[in-house]
Amino acid sequence: MKRRLSGKAKWLIVISVLLAMVISVLGALGRSRPGESFVQTLLTPFRSAGSTFVRQAERYYDYVFKYESLQAENKALKKKIVEMEDDVRSADSLQRENERLHQLLGLMEEHEDYKRKSAYIISWNGSNWKSAFTIGKGTSSGIDEGMVAITEYGQVVGLVTSAGPNWATVTTVLDTGIGISASVASSGYTGKVEGALATGSEGLLRMNYLPTDSVLRNNDQVLTTGSTVYPRGLIIGYITDAGLDETGVAKYAILRPAADFDNLEQVFIITDFKNG
Amino acid sequence: MLKHLHMTARQWKIVLKWALYSLLFLVTLVAQDVILAKHPIFGIKLTVVPLLIVCVCIREGPESGGVFALITSVICCYSGADYGNVSVALLPVCSILAAVFCRRVLTLRFLSTLLCCLLVLLIHETVILGLKVLLTPISPKNLFTVVLPRVGLSLPALLIQYPLAKTIHKTGGSHDL
Repeated sequence: MKRRLSGKAKWLIVISVLLAMVISVLGALGRSRPGESFVQTLLTPFRSAGSTFVRQAERYYDYVFKYESLQAENKALKKKIVEMEDDVRSADSLQRENERLHQLLGLMEEHEDYKRKSAYIISWNGSNWKSAFTIGKGTSSGIDEGMVAITEYGQVVGLVTSAGPNWATVTTVLDTGIGISASVASSGYTGKVEGALATGSEGLLRMNYLPTDSVLRNNDQVLTTGSTVYPRGLIIGYITDAGLDETGVAKYAILRPAADFDNLEQVFIITDFKNG
Repeated sequence: MLKHLHMTARQWKIVLKWALYSLLFLVTLVAQDVILAKHPIFGIKLTVVPLLIVCVCIREGPESGGVFALITSVICCYSGADYGNVSVALLPVCSILAAVFCRRVLTLRFLSTLLCCLLVLLIHETVILGLKVLLTPISPKNLFTVVLPRVGLSLPALLIQYPLAKTIHKTGGSHDL
């Protein structure tokens, strides 16, 4: 098998290497890669077929092997519903009281309206340094860059960072590149939530720039404060830990994301919204 | 016009071989994106596409294997994998070097392919980590906690890819330049 290369073969290798370097440099210089949309569009049908097959297989597996745990979960959820119905009853009376006070004070009603588009996840990013996935809908369905992805319960999943005709890439809140202006629901402290992927806390979020005298409790809910990108009041996560940051002039909190990324199959993209 | 497209049986076999390689690449890419990226093993996402690229390049030789490595690296990089632009050049160059090394020094067998794949994957992943360390807050400690386990856990995929690549190679034979 030990053979020498012919002159023609050597030229082919040299041309391949040069071409690879040119494509690499051009990609690094340009902000967008022209071939990316083409490749992603071509791959989308195959990914959709693959993810549909895997989803069905997972459902069948869960049905066969996780039946007992699902039953237990169902029982716990039924109990929770009863408790929540109690809360709703007391909330109803509080809401009526709130409406009366609003009328007395003549305040404008604050409300949020957003239009959503549902989409299934067709593939995940294979890198350990990035948290992103691709959905099977894109610009032809009204989904574009800069739109927010949430779960059916209004939990923040991420942001659409690139989109093509039949695909869109969502970078999740776990990624270091995403930053969200947020507030602690119970106390109102504001800060910036970022993914903690790069700091070694995989699967967690970090809320920075909190006041040093802020009092934070475990399981405090953290919500979006509202901006041109994120609607107000979306659930980002729950506080699990806190401490003083490296500079010593601000506090940080570690959050458990509200969205269950391990079992995420479908997301909703907010295509239009009004804040307040 | 069609008579100009006439191909000999040997040429048909070569076309079939590259079509099968492409199919294998597509299946591997989809499997990585849909299954392996969603279900990390011990928190590590496996990388099996570069292994296939190196395996095919070694089997087909640095010239036609190099062209295959270049095309598939571009597709892999543009498919949304976060390897970065450097991977478009790094992966074909490493694959070609591995194929030349294998041809000149080693005998084309499973163990020699495994050794070359290990080296290429180590270089590829370490260079990408190096760039991430330079440009982002990612710690160099990840070399031991992420890169080495990722390489180690990904290598067994060659047990499936190598026999498949070998079988496909046999269908078309060699076409030395």
